[in-house]
Amino acid sequence: MVEYNFKKITVVPNGKAFIDIILSRTQRTTPTVVHKGYAISRLRQFYMRKVKYTQSNFHDKLQKIIDDFPRLGDIHPFYGDLLHVLYNKDHYKLALGQVNTAKNLISKISQDYVKLLKYGDSLYRCKSLKVAALGRMCTVIKRIGPSLAYLEQVRQHMARLPSIDPNNRTILICGYPNVGKSSFMNKITRADVDVQAYAFTTKSLFVGHTDYKYLRYQVIDTPGILDRPFEDRNIIEMCSITALAHLRAAILFFLDLSGSCGYSIAQQAALFHSIKELFSNKPLIIVCNKTDLQPLEGLNEGDKKLVMEMKSEASKSQGGEAASADDFLLTMSTLTEEGVMAVKNAACERLLDQRVEKKMKSKKMNDCLNRFHVAMPKPRDQKERPACIPQAVLEAKALEAAQKEGRKTEKDIENENGGAGVYSASLRKHHILANEEWKEDILPEFLDGHNVYDFVDPDILLRLEELEREEGVRQAEAEDGDEDFEMDGEDLTPEEREALQAIKKKKILLIQEHRIKKSTAESRPTVPRKFDKERKFTSERMGRQLSSLGIDPSRAIERARSRSVSRKGRKRERSVDRDGEDGMEIDGGSSNKKLRLRSMSRSRSVSRPLGEVVPGEGFRDSAQKMKAITMARNASKKRNKDARRGEADRVIPTLRPKHLFSGKRSIGKTDRR
Amino acid sequence: MAIRLQFENNCEVGVFSKLTNAYCLVAIGGSESFYSIFESELADVIPVVKTSIGGIRIIGRQCVGNKNGLLLPHTTTDQELQHLRNSLPDSVVVQRIEERLNALGNHVACNDHVALAHPDLDRETEELIADVLGVEVFRQTIAGNILVGTYCALSNRGGMVHPHTTIEELDELSTLLQVPLVAGTVNRGSDTVAAGMTVNDWTAFCGSYTTATELSVIESVFKLREAHPSAIVDEMRKSLVDSYV
Repeated sequence: MVEYNFKKITVVPNGKAFIDIILSRTQRTTPTVVHKGYAISRLRQFYMRKVKYTQSNFHDKLQKIIDDFPRLGDIHPFYGDLLHVLYNKDHYKLALGQVNTAKNLISKISQDYVKLLKYGDSLYRCKSLKVAALGRMCTVIKRIGPSLAYLEQVRQHMARLPSIDPNNRTILICGYPNVGKSSFMNKITRADVDVQAYAFTTKSLFVGHTDYKYLRYQVIDTPGILDRPFEDRNIIEMCSITALAHLRAAILFFLDLSGSCGYSIAQQAALFHSIKELFSNKPLIIVCNKTDLQPLEGLNEGDKKLVMEMKSEASKSQGGEAASADDFLLTMSTLTEEGVMAVKNAACERLLDQRVEKKMKSKKMNDCLNRFHVAMPKPRDQKERPACIPQAVLEAKALEAAQKEGRKTEKDIENENGGAGVYSASLRKHHILANEEWKEDILPEFLDGHNVYDFVDPDILLRLEELEREEGVRQAEAEDGDEDFEMDGEDLTPEEREALQAIKKKKILLIQEHRIKKSTAESRPTVPRKFDKERKFTSERMGRQLSSLGIDPSRAIERARSRSVSRKGRKRERSVDRDGEDGMEIDGGSSNKKLRLRSMSRSRSVSRPLGEVVPGEGFRDSAQKMKAITMARNASKKRNKDARRGEADRVIPTLRPKHLFSGKRSIGKTDRR
Repeated sequence: MAIRLQFENNCEVGVFSKLTNAYCLVAIGGSESFYSIFESELADVIPVVKTSIGGIRIIGRQCVGNKNGLLLPHTTTDQELQHLRNSLPDSVVVQRIEERLNALGNHVACNDHVALAHPDLDRETEELIADVLGVEVFRQTIAGNILVGTYCALSNRGGMVHPHTTIEELDELSTLLQVPLVAGTVNRGSDTVAAGMTVNDWTAFCGSYTTATELSVIESVFKLREAHPSAIVDEMRKSLVDSYV
């Protein structure tokens, strides 16, 4: 879709400014220092660069102008004609053509001088050639100065043209000057067009927008048209004619019944008939304005006949379906606003009808058919699926009609407390909890290394109750079971009773065994250090106690000491003679074993070979790993960063050592070297 | 009544909010303006809750819910879950589900009675949807799109689906869902209808690019105000033809 926006055309500088821009750019962006001592190729290159650069800048800038301005043949005929009316097509094309010629000329100049520069044999010559080249380019631009000035004016004017979309829904208002076109425009849009009591207040096209049935319509206010031959019409009138000719719009032809505009109804009717070809195939409505001054009914016979003639003409010109006869002639008064909306609605409706009719025939319609379809559900079961609207909403709706009270929203609170970014709303504000005070309670996220929420159970009370109930049931069952069991005991056969006895015995034995094991607790020190803060449980005390009982404590003390782990630097001792042992054998044996374990010498652990592949390192095999290691080593090797001379460097020895070849004087002064 | 709004200059309103008949979830934004629009419309009637899900703001695409319950993806943190449980009334069951497809809002479209689900959704998830939300679940596609949640905006009174849905498909879906359906767009032609709007039985929120035509279609199909779905084929038809074709 082409967008008709002429505001984006870049400014066209006038001739002098143009030259300044380009030359100063050349000066800024190409090198400026040159010496005559430079090699001639360098000098030539220096000046060629300047010439070429200037040329390319001229070229870019001129090309931009040519591209920016619309080509009259390519744009919508409405705009094409409008631009022709306003700026004269020939003049416009000529100006752009001159710009194009200038562009080509400059390219040619540049080519020629670059060629010449190749033969420049000194700095001075090269410079002269450059000056000549740039000078000629500037002359070319100076020559198209008037064209540039004209284009700049056109640009400024085009930027102020209203942006009319020729393909959009459009309502076009036309008629004699001073019949109330602009007042109507102001009534139905917010365009705010200037309205004055004299003719030709509106001197160009104006655009406003209005809505009808969810759609936007552009309303175009045209300057007034006088009834005279086509050739005599001035530019202002021609704007209107162009719009009428090229825009597929609903046309409102305004009639001033009162004649206060200075033109009689007969004159207006004559205008209507002279431009009626422009209305063909467009929805046309004849609008009788200023009914507050002169109602339609009060007209004299002749005028009435003229109006009716126009009406029948209007109904003939109408393309497409015939609307009701009333729609072709409407009366209104922009002063009292009587009938204004009716006119707007009728125009929009007629235009919409016509466009829809056309579109219904187009191919694209088939792609969109699904979007005009509302699928209504066929009942598939008897289930009721009601909507769920809270009562409060319905009440609020009813209330809304009565009064509208503003709620203090979070945004208001935010604004009171420093605005966005400063105010931080509490998320807990609207929590629904059993107790209001709980709202701001802080719940730790982690406690003792556990995620607290893993342990939160909202139904904990329910579950507890359930468990208790279950427990009660179990207990009752167990009691019942015991009774049954006792009773069963009597019912058993002798064999079964024996078996039962055996089972019970075995059970008791197992329990006892377990308890013994537990009580000795594998003979670990039974009093942990933390319960023996005062250090009362010493081996001396044990010895005292044992000897008071009449037992020799030495072995016990020895054993206790030998088991103490914290003891360090123990001397190697003789292995115990096992033959003379009694009672404590088992324990001693295990202790020995432990000792041996500790003292046993180990062979040195072998470190992993360099190339061995360890899972997780990401190497395919050991070859790859070795390669990687080598590469890493090489990469980390410090390169010869300081670029010092190394033995690997190529050396050219001094071919003629100075001390051998200089300073040999005949006079005998020999030490000058 | 449909309202046009933006979330931080973004028109995908359905992404940043989740509206149901019993509650409304709103993303935490830089300012309170987005929240306050919901608040002023709804807070008298249903709780409007600011929340994130899994620390991110696209809550409308991540969760699915109706007046009976709310399903959250496994990415939801414990704190968010607790916050939602605290903020929503007890009649709403809040449940976190283990589902590989964690953008539940894109995969499920539901009202209070029926749900459309992504064809690849777990069987367990499907059962959970049925139990927690109390709906019948149908595995469906919309106009060839498997992201049913994205391309279908649904309430108990009407629904809007992807603009390329054919008439036969529309009729079939409408019979499944038992609501009037229409193929349409929001946000000046966006086909991701559920992302561009969020709707319940009495109100709708659309992105601010939504045109007047789109808005009126929405209002008629969801029976907001006094409009009725048949208005789309009757009085609005001409406007629609002129704007679509």
